[in-house]
Amino acid sequence: MTRSRGILVVAMLVVLAAVGWSARPHEPSAEERVDRITAELRCVVCQGLSVKDSPSESARQMREIVAQRVTEGRTDEEIRDEFRASYGDWVVLAPPIASWTGLIWLVPVAALVAGIAVAWRRLGAAAAAPPAATADEVAALRRRVARAEADDE
Amino acid sequence: MPRWLRLAVVVAIAALVVVLILAFRREPTDVRTGTVGRPAAAFTLQQLDGSGPLTFGPTDGKVVVLNFFASWCIPCKQENPALVRAYERYRASDVVFIGILYQDSLESGQRYVRDNGVTWPTVNDDRGRVAFSYGVFGIPETFFIGADGIIAGRHTGPIDETTLTNAIECLRGKSADGARCIREGGR
Repeated sequence: MTRSRGILVVAMLVVLAAVGWSARPHEPSAEERVDRITAELRCVVCQGLSVKDSPSESARQMREIVAQRVTEGRTDEEIRDEFRASYGDWVVLAPPIASWTGLIWLVPVAALVAGIAVAWRRLGAAAAAPPAATADEVAALRRRVARAEADDE
Repeated sequence: MPRWLRLAVVVAIAALVVVLILAFRREPTDVRTGTVGRPAAAFTLQQLDGSGPLTFGPTDGKVVVLNFFASWCIPCKQENPALVRAYERYRASDVVFIGILYQDSLESGQRYVRDNGVTWPTVNDDRGRVAFSYGVFGIPETFFIGADGIIAGRHTGPIDETTLTNAIECLRGKSADGARCIREGGR
């Protein structure tokens, strides 16, 4: 029993070490950078495909440009800026928050906040005790009950 | 429902309707490039006729018509007669025409130029770098560059002679305000 527990602990430690090793922060290789940047850029002759995923000739040439810029030592931001200079913000699949396209990010957040505010008010209203009936309302209710009982008799 | 919330819902729906109306009215092929209004990129490319490299510098002080084409591009063939007529009209003037072969083999480009009466300088953008620097989406695309070296406009799709002539005349007359000469778009 003790031995099998020991094996189990060792196995768990090995798994944890493997996960930790694979998730360790590391400097991305040039190929990884090209993949990451081209995945963020829109293929200009496709419908909703990234430069990385498109088999078109235009996308192939753009991948070449990105690879060359990475080799030249340009930063990711500089490469993205070069594409934006040629094709505008449209070429970036995730629209930048700084431009008017930032609305795409802000609207869902605003809708979520508004939804939470509405839900909060509703729940607060439901939890609040109902207002006490006035003396006139109690008297009117008693009269209705008495009438109903008289009708039944 | 509180009054402010009703008002907010109405405003949000109205805004959504306005956005949808504007989006549906927009021509889906009218995708703006980022280069119009900016200085034209200089380049050096090999000429299709084998006469060596052609260097284009935007400081030449001339109105320039850059036409991206390919032999496999049917709309390029459709627009070619208009380009031929416009070139004949302006070849002796201060207007420069340059054809840029895009995503095509050199042999096919040379055959196209020979068979279609293209007599203006043509160059081979075999790696697509010049097309990238101009923000070309798909061919045919024609860029108009003013004498100030600024890209004044871009026409996507086959261009007609009237559009060509109007843009050139406008740029020759008002080179300082080229942006008003050509509306970006086409097709």
